[in-house]
Amino acid sequence: MSGPQWVPTIDDSKVRDGAYVPVYPKGVGVLLVRTDGELFAIANKCGHMACPLEGGKLEGDVITCPCHDWRFNVRSGQFIDAPELSLDTFATRVEDGKVFVELKEA
Amino acid sequence: MTDDVWVYALSTCPWCRKTKQWFTDSKIAFEYVDVDTLPVDEQDEVAEKAYKLSGGRRFPVVVINGEVIVGHSPDKFLEHLKGWGG
Amino acid sequence: MGSAERKDSLRYLYERVVGPLGYKFTPDAELADFLLEQEVKLEQDHGAPYCPCQGRTGVRADDRAIVCPCIPFHREHFDKMKRCWCGLFVHTDVTDPDSLPQFPPDEG
Ligand code: FES
Repeated sequence: MSGPQWVPTIDDSKVRDGAYVPVYPKGVGVLLVRTDGELFAIANKCGHMACPLEGGKLEGDVITCPCHDWRFNVRSGQFIDAPELSLDTFATRVEDGKVFVELKEA
Repeated sequence: MTDDVWVYALSTCPWCRKTKQWFTDSKIAFEYVDVDTLPVDEQDEVAEKAYKLSGGRRFPVVVINGEVIVGHSPDKFLEHLKGWGG
Repeated sequence: MGSAERKDSLRYLYERVVGPLGYKFTPDAELADFLLEQEVKLEQDHGAPYCPCQGRTGVRADDRAIVCPCIPFHREHFDKMKRCWCGLFVHTDVTDPDSLPQFPPDEG
């Protein structure tokens, strides 16, 4: 096991504003989300019953799970209806037009 | 004195079963309907009635002499049963 | 997935949700098993593990609030009862769930 590491994913240009793209750095399901021009990365797995969040509606900072409509803030990962529950979030950075996602451990 | 008792229930709900059991054990005549086992075209109408009476969607809904009690609550049932000094 | 397997996976999924909210499965194992069984059936028939003691309206915005565990959507009420409406979950400090009264949100 090693420490955190930056893993390359897709071209930054592929993540349009107000939209998201699922990526799988090292097999980890991550959703890259751009809202108000800012890029975020959250676990692509709902905190309710583990549905992938892709297919869900993104409105501003909030993504709604397509399965049973649990809503999460894409900046913090927080579940809107109970702040005790949240999704993992990942740091991102763009280098040479590519989005890198920081995974905690490999 | 006879009481008029109606129980709106769901077949999937253990509290509804307990309520029915309580009235049976107390030897109080009652009528009931398991909303979810009605023919599909009747379910909505009866459910709607229960929602209106109870102001919510929680079951059981018990109507004793016109008074509505939501939940399995023998203490409250007793309060509204005439035969029991309520 | 068979219904026994689905029950197990619901157990696993729910545990992770209700723990941080201060709840646990009811210590009444028979009740928990019965309720999970109903939820598996409800999920098969109606697409989601709805609360076995609450009725659907068919309006998605309403029905989402009774998908188990529905604690986040009824927090104040359930916290007052120390139990969720159907009784599948109780506050972590509850050892005798039968002693807890069931009452609607505007009472108690
Ligand atoms: S799995 Fe996402 S809301 Fe149920």
